[in-house]
Amino acid sequence: MFGPMISGVQQTTNYRVVLPFYIYASISFFAGTILLLLHTEIFQVHFFNQYTLAITHTMALGWGTMIILGASHQLLPVLIEGKLESNPLAYTTFFFTAIGIPLLVAGFYVFHTDGWVLKSGAVLVNIGVIFYLLNVYSSAFNSTTRNVHAWYILTASFWLFSTTFFGLLLVWNFNTPILPSDSVSYLTLHAHLGIVGWFLLMVIGVGSRLIPMFLISKYVNNKMLWWIFGLVNAGLISFIFLKLWNTPAVYYYFSVALILAGVVLFGRHCIKAKNVRIRKGIDEQMKTSLLSVLQMLLPIAALLLVLLFLPADRYPNIGLLYGFCIFFGWITAIILGMTFKTLPFIVWNKVYHKRAHAGKTPVPKDLFSERVYHIMLLAYVSGFVVFIFGIIFINQLTLQIGAVCLLAAAALYLFNVGKTYFHQPEKV
Amino acid sequence: MSVNVASNNAEQCEYALKDLYNVDDPEVGLNVVDLGLIYQLNFDEAGKKLDATMTLTTQFCPMGESITSNITQSLVNSFPGWEVNVNLTFEPPWDFSKISPEGRKFLGH
Repeated sequence: MFGPMISGVQQTTNYRVVLPFYIYASISFFAGTILLLLHTEIFQVHFFNQYTLAITHTMALGWGTMIILGASHQLLPVLIEGKLESNPLAYTTFFFTAIGIPLLVAGFYVFHTDGWVLKSGAVLVNIGVIFYLLNVYSSAFNSTTRNVHAWYILTASFWLFSTTFFGLLLVWNFNTPILPSDSVSYLTLHAHLGIVGWFLLMVIGVGSRLIPMFLISKYVNNKMLWWIFGLVNAGLISFIFLKLWNTPAVYYYFSVALILAGVVLFGRHCIKAKNVRIRKGIDEQMKTSLLSVLQMLLPIAALLLVLLFLPADRYPNIGLLYGFCIFFGWITAIILGMTFKTLPFIVWNKVYHKRAHAGKTPVPKDLFSERVYHIMLLAYVSGFVVFIFGIIFINQLTLQIGAVCLLAAAALYLFNVGKTYFHQPEKV
Repeated sequence: MSVNVASNNAEQCEYALKDLYNVDDPEVGLNVVDLGLIYQLNFDEAGKKLDATMTLTTQFCPMGESITSNITQSLVNSFPGWEVNVNLTFEPPWDFSKISPEGRKFLGH
């Protein structure tokens, strides 16, 4: 008797590594929308206040970063064309970041800038990110090839560490001067290291691989992806220097133009992939993800509005609009779509890995409720639009209505993530 | 139904494909035969040996391990007591031309 032989198969990352990040992120999204509903008044004051910092870090770290960390552990083999170096390193990343994030958020919320809660939170998040960096770099450099997607993830991880380490310095700088200026004057720099360096590069690097794959499109244009990579990085690096040299705001157009060109070219890349797809129908999750590519333009429009027409000192809420469009707009939309493209596959692989030959099994999209997904999307889009009006017209009631819709969207998202996670095969 | 699977034994091939029609690519929702993932089935009846050559829609498909494993298990179940070897190849790479007319209809063409 012989056992079957299979050769040439790429190994996927174990689901146990990935799922905790997804669960953690969905709870963080829910927590972020609760904080938003409790503190809508912050959209009428300057962005540097304890609640804005708490909400922003819940959304940026607990929601956006944790789900990207989870998804990138799963997708690393697809991106670097090799295998994830170490599962224990991935568990360690989760352990430190999962404890560090709530401590950091709590520290901001009560705003004890010299307290151990805030400082230990910042340290733990950095330790988690260092373990992630080690895992990504050793996986990529142990792989025989390093394609453009691998360079996106390598560079994005480096920018993530730059963001969290700079954040750690800012936390210390609140009470012990270790930087030339006060921490508030570096907030824009800290935020853009994360937004452009980590989120934007990662979304483009992963999206440029996954979007054609899910659409079953054979469109490949690595030269264009290298151009986008260069434009976004050049935009970010030029912004860092302009900011550190305290140049007048007008020079920031240069950095904005480079990043905008990268975003537009990425949008063009997605459209071209969509146009030559083999699968004609596009599911709701892919539509949401493609919509988020368009949403990338909203924060840039808000930024140009500030630079061109509205002096930031007279219209501080436009700065908040910019941040809201990024964390509750673009980043949230792409996660809402991509969660239900990736999570059902991970769970399907776990449940049906060795069962799919024994008769018809559910397809991954059957693992969550499409109806709930539709209602969630409706609540999300209404909440997002209503909240934007609330910010522009500085209207408390409008802000609260928008926040309630976003909270409903987060609750429905959490429900569907739970439904997928706890999926059990039907007993025959 | 017309599929493009090379084989040295039409009867055995038909028998193997009957079960492989039940194995779906979970992302596409289409079975692996109509999707054109099975390139070749070689039967050595005397030595009770089956060599299968297959591909995936993309080289680093996250579901590749699962699809390959299910194809293997299906062949093992169809031919109990046989030595089953499954070889994953990307030469030639999978493309639209590998999909059967039924598969194309399923994908909206």
